[in-house]
Amino acid sequence: MNLQFIVDGLISGSLIGLGAIGITLTYSILRFSNFAHGDFMAWGAYGTLSVVAAIGALVGTTAPIGALSFGWPLILAAIAGMIMTACLALLLDWLLFARLRDKGQSIIVVMASFGASMALRSLLEFIFTSSPTYFSRGIQMAIPIGLGIRITPDQMVMLATTIVLVTAMHLFMSRSQTGREMRAYSQNPALARVVGINVDRVVRATWIIGAALACAAGVMVGILVQIRPLMGLDLLLPMFAAAILGGIGSVPGAVLGGLIIGLSEAAAVQLIGAEWRAAIAFAILMAVLLVRPMGLFGRAER
Amino acid sequence: MSIPDVPILDVRGLIAGYEPGLSIVKGASIHADEKEIVVILGPNGAGKSSLIKAIAGLVPITGGEVLLDGRDITHGAAHLRVRQGLAFVPQTENIFPLMTVEENLRVAGGVLQRGEVQARIDETYTMFPDLARQRKLAAGSLSGGQRQMLAVGRALIVHPRVLMLDEPSAGLSPKFVEMVFARLNEIRRAGLTIVLVEQNARAALAIGDRAYVLVEGREAHEGRAATLWEDPVVAELYLGKRRHA
Repeated sequence: MNLQFIVDGLISGSLIGLGAIGITLTYSILRFSNFAHGDFMAWGAYGTLSVVAAIGALVGTTAPIGALSFGWPLILAAIAGMIMTACLALLLDWLLFARLRDKGQSIIVVMASFGASMALRSLLEFIFTSSPTYFSRGIQMAIPIGLGIRITPDQMVMLATTIVLVTAMHLFMSRSQTGREMRAYSQNPALARVVGINVDRVVRATWIIGAALACAAGVMVGILVQIRPLMGLDLLLPMFAAAILGGIGSVPGAVLGGLIIGLSEAAAVQLIGAEWRAAIAFAILMAVLLVRPMGLFGRAER
Repeated sequence: MSIPDVPILDVRGLIAGYEPGLSIVKGASIHADEKEIVVILGPNGAGKSSLIKAIAGLVPITGGEVLLDGRDITHGAAHLRVRQGLAFVPQTENIFPLMTVEENLRVAGGVLQRGEVQARIDETYTMFPDLARQRKLAAGSLSGGQRQMLAVGRALIVHPRVLMLDEPSAGLSPKFVEMVFARLNEIRRAGLTIVLVEQNARAALAIGDRAYVLVEGREAHEGRAATLWEDPVVAELYLGKRRHA
């Protein structure tokens, strides 16, 4: 049996997990399923691509770093992209979600996020067309690492970057005052207000973190696969499945959920057939909702 | 410093409710002086909880005003009221169950200087030694009485001027009720003003200085806590049935 699916699954799973962090935070703190989250990924990837192009226009072509397919402009551009995506999320919240949230009906906010998702996607297609594009068109050689498994330098770096981001995120949520305030707010919003927590700050932090991580995941998908306006939409179901599998509100849960979904998808492709890939996330989602609705690390509904 | 004769908490003609046009608090006026324990009593549905929640910033206020140390805080956000020295302990769900005891205390320290937080937490542990022993435990695993201690300890972290509590004795065993009220008395002696909403009138009046009886969203009677039992008006308004029970 070819074990290559393990690496493939770990990589796609870690990207799903990274995206699912934003979904789980939005759900537990802002109390709605944000269907526009996938589009933050796509916007982040295109935003980063635009900054790469701008840097290229200013300083000319730059050499890639070591064996990687990209150079330092992409790293700078990804940071800029994360900031831009965070600003996009804050803008959307100010324009749309905050106003609807104040009215208190979360289903309206969910529907609004559907609308926002379609608008964001159409806008990307309008600006960049629907044909796929790439950060780099170079072909990378995969390095054999034993047991018939191969991994490219880009994949290794993306995996390492995900581990760093997830660890940083976990430390942020458990050690920083803002992280504690976010957890407190997700457990009991009214109590959070009377212990002196600034709700607006918690909401802003949630958008900024969720959108920045979505951008990071989008850029990584762009580096490893391709950039398309539909890239976020395609990952939306796996990301939701990961967030729910992990337990809503749990950052480690979202990441573990992502890894399980990614590995299952990759295993399905190898063992059953590629056409079943998309069905796997759905099957896992259904199974979790039926058997353990609170997910792996979730808490029972209050 | 507060100017003498100006109550530290002054609530004038407060109108508040969750839905527009449906007021629960209908023009209530109460005040609390420095180091005073003020008890708010009243029959079920009188709007006692809504009144202190409105003062804390959790129920929308549509009329009247709330002054803290002479400053108008009527329309300030709840978290800003905490910063200005007004702490509130809700009756139920008053801790963050999935966070540890220490995290529950720490999360309330956001308004303090970084260096101050640990000292304040240690201060709370000195006041409530039980909490120190359970600092690493999830707050959700504490008993009812311990939760109440944690909620009070957390409210005190920011050194408020006024501490408001919504039925701190609800659901507690008589032993714990006695302990909670003894602690509140100590806290008052340390210089705090306490506003207490209570169903357990006897225990509350035993430590209270002054009391209001709230009926249908406004104060129907005000008097010294010690003599409130004896007032025939109060007996008729609220306490009568209990006194002769």
